[in-house]
Amino acid sequence: MKKNNIEGWLFVSPLVLWIFLIIIIPIYIAFELSLFNIKIIGTSGKFVGIDNYIKLFGKSKFLNASLNSLYWIIGNAVCQTFFAFIIALTINYKFPGKKIMANWIILAFIIPTVVVVVIWKLMLSSSSGIINSVLVDLGILNEATGFFSSPNKAFITLIFINSWRWSPFLALIILSGLNSINREMYDASRVDGANFIQQFIFITFPNLKNVLFVLGLVGTLLSFNIFDIIWLITKGGPSNATSTIPLLIYETAFTKFRISQAATLSIITSFMLLLFSIIFIKSMAPKEDD
Amino acid sequence: MIKEKNIKLIFISLSLILILLIFFLPFFWIITSSFKNPEEIIATSTTIIPRSFTLEHYYKILFYSDFFIYLKNSLIVSFFSMFISIILSVSAAYGLHKLKFYGNKFVEYSLLVTYAFPGVILLVPIYLLFAKLNLLNSYFSLIIVNVLFASPFAVWMLKAFFKLIPNEIEEAAYIDGASRYIVISRIIVPLASPGIASVAIFCFIISWTEYLFASILISGDDLKTLPVGLAGIVGQYQIDWGFLLSGAVLASLPVIILFVFIGKYFVSGLTEGAVK
Repeated sequence: MKKNNIEGWLFVSPLVLWIFLIIIIPIYIAFELSLFNIKIIGTSGKFVGIDNYIKLFGKSKFLNASLNSLYWIIGNAVCQTFFAFIIALTINYKFPGKKIMANWIILAFIIPTVVVVVIWKLMLSSSSGIINSVLVDLGILNEATGFFSSPNKAFITLIFINSWRWSPFLALIILSGLNSINREMYDASRVDGANFIQQFIFITFPNLKNVLFVLGLVGTLLSFNIFDIIWLITKGGPSNATSTIPLLIYETAFTKFRISQAATLSIITSFMLLLFSIIFIKSMAPKEDD
Repeated sequence: MIKEKNIKLIFISLSLILILLIFFLPFFWIITSSFKNPEEIIATSTTIIPRSFTLEHYYKILFYSDFFIYLKNSLIVSFFSMFISIILSVSAAYGLHKLKFYGNKFVEYSLLVTYAFPGVILLVPIYLLFAKLNLLNSYFSLIIVNVLFASPFAVWMLKAFFKLIPNEIEEAAYIDGASRYIVISRIIVPLASPGIASVAIFCFIISWTEYLFASILISGDDLKTLPVGLAGIVGQYQIDWGFLLSGAVLASLPVIILFVFIGKYFVSGLTEGAVK
């Protein structure tokens, strides 16, 4: 079909404008704020230039949150990839009830995050949670443990809960990628004597490149953005162990009311994520055929 | 050959058990627990098969809480967010995938990045912008944000459905003298309707589950949405678990009902865009 410039832009423009206005204007406001020293909304503060930025890099809380965010992204990537591939490879196999499972596995993804929090808070409760009770009955634990009591345990448990919510969604995307692979390739490799692990490494994985590109990009950004699961369960504790950058921004703005600092944080983070996206797209984007 | 088949069978059985335990059992346990009496819920010896049955938690949440106010707010916000998202994303997807214009790849990738981009980074700036525009504490503030979150991925989902519609159908209609409006309303929209259904449910879910912005942009009790209302109970020092569990079940019910009817479109729509 021939290019249709004016009409094409006309159809795209309502959405593009909507997004542009609601992302660019606020980011501009935030940038302006980050150059001032404003504490309470509505009051005018002193112009301090890039002072907020310089100060930020000296703050141990910022360093701590950055590291936590990095661990959070890596931990979630590993855990979600693991669960997602298990789900996808299993559902790809024929068994009774496959259809029902393929449809309803997404349940964890369509319920409100708050409900996810409620489910796992009770499941993991140290006094009446089913997990503790089963682990003690099986003799794996001597006594009920608090899954959110120590920094490491809390961090790992939160990664698990977040992966529980997101893996089914990723699994379905991987699954449709699996379905698009030509079956003849498997038959041919079988004739050549490949086992199913070799098939996975040399056929399945390379053929999912397109899918994995989207998941790598969108997944990283979405993991980074996770706020409600962490906030509603640990509030960033114990001793800031689960405080990632989104939590730091929220706290700075809405419990400490340091608006300029929060704006500075937002600007730096947007810049870092934009940089990541550009590098990721430039280096990993699959070649277009059409 | 036999050996490999066995390994595969063991792998499938083990992962099936794992999936059932991790991804389905929690729902069973939470739903049955919402019908247990308070003593059984907080008992240290946890029960998988319930020993008691009561409707008191549901009675309490339906008749002695603000549940219906929150429900009404969630429904209004989600419905309008869904409606606007569909119009914007169908229009954008038509422009992107049917008209092809200079810069369409750039727009497509930018949309993908914006889908993942917003969230907490925009929280402070949007709060300040809405404060300036006097939009805080309104349904509209949440609708604006939800459309922003839902539409970019909706366009991505529609891509596969739009690509399936052969250009020849459209061209034939133009030769017969049909206008752009007729082509879109009589040909494109009906043919893409499974895609539009899946986009609709996606946008509804995004808006229904949104917590962060709803908790900041809305402060009046009469305008709070269900997730914010529920989170209020989670945050209490002494949690009334029965109350909370029945609330959680009820808050999930609308999306689950929607899913029962158009879930199969949703699952295919969700996954097509990434592959095509």
